[in-house]
Amino acid sequence: MKLLIVDDSTVIRSRIARILGDARLEFIQVIGMAKNGVEALSLFSEEQPDLVTMDLTMPEMDGVECTEKMVTSNADASILVISALSDKATALKAMKKGARGFLYKPFTDDQLVEAFIELTSEES
Amino acid sequence: MSDISEQDIHVFVDAISHYFTQITREKAKIKGAFLAQGEKFPPTFDLTGIIKISGKFRGSVYFSAPRVMLSRLLLSMHESHLSDEQLLDAVGEIANTVAGNARKYFGENMGISVPKTMSTPPKWSELVVRARPYVIMINWKQYDASVVIDIERLD
Repeated sequence: MKLLIVDDSTVIRSRIARILGDARLEFIQVIGMAKNGVEALSLFSEEQPDLVTMDLTMPEMDGVECTEKMVTSNADASILVISALSDKATALKAMKKGARGFLYKPFTDDQLVEAFIELTSEES
Repeated sequence: MSDISEQDIHVFVDAISHYFTQITREKAKIKGAFLAQGEKFPPTFDLTGIIKISGKFRGSVYFSAPRVMLSRLLLSMHESHLSDEQLLDAVGEIANTVAGNARKYFGENMGISVPKTMSTPPKWSELVVRARPYVIMINWKQYDASVVIDIERLD
């Protein structure tokens, strides 16, 4: 499965990739990383990923708008929102736009792996 | 405008505490929380992350830490790149996480900006909206850092 990582923090992007590598989830291959919604949409269109991790607070285009556009373009893509915004309304808004999961920052390595296992088991 | 309360400040204490426990599995010690004033004006360290707060609030949330603490934090995440750019990214992300987590309590009407970062001490006299911002001092692995809560409710 092809994964696109979207977050405006380089530390978070590389941490997500590192955790998935350490967990030996070999069926997941990171095919790209984007630091905002605009970059993410371009990579999404070029690479057609199966999975996306999506930050919400980003410059240029936020994660809710980006999620909506991705789902409109390919409803089969599974989007996991990873955000520090911890109010219920935001999580509901992201899910209504088509996100399939929500993980709050700060997350542990195990929480991220569990979120991916849950997301990909829904896929298969 | 109405003031934020001591109970409101606990939300930020919990958020910064939770951050270190989740990321490093090691608690950060809360050294104290106080209202900045005079010589107790917000202490800042090498690098500072700033989140602008909007919506039904105005002001900013700051996280400021020494380079050495941020380097240790990144190492605990198995991150080997310890450039200033990475450290600034980390300090901004911590500020963002603390402010974002506070929305669990304050709700979606608290707007959160993307982080801005600084490698020079903030000029508090030009920045603060409160006469006396709240300061939370923490200590992790012998290094001190600060969270500054400079926000007001707009009624």
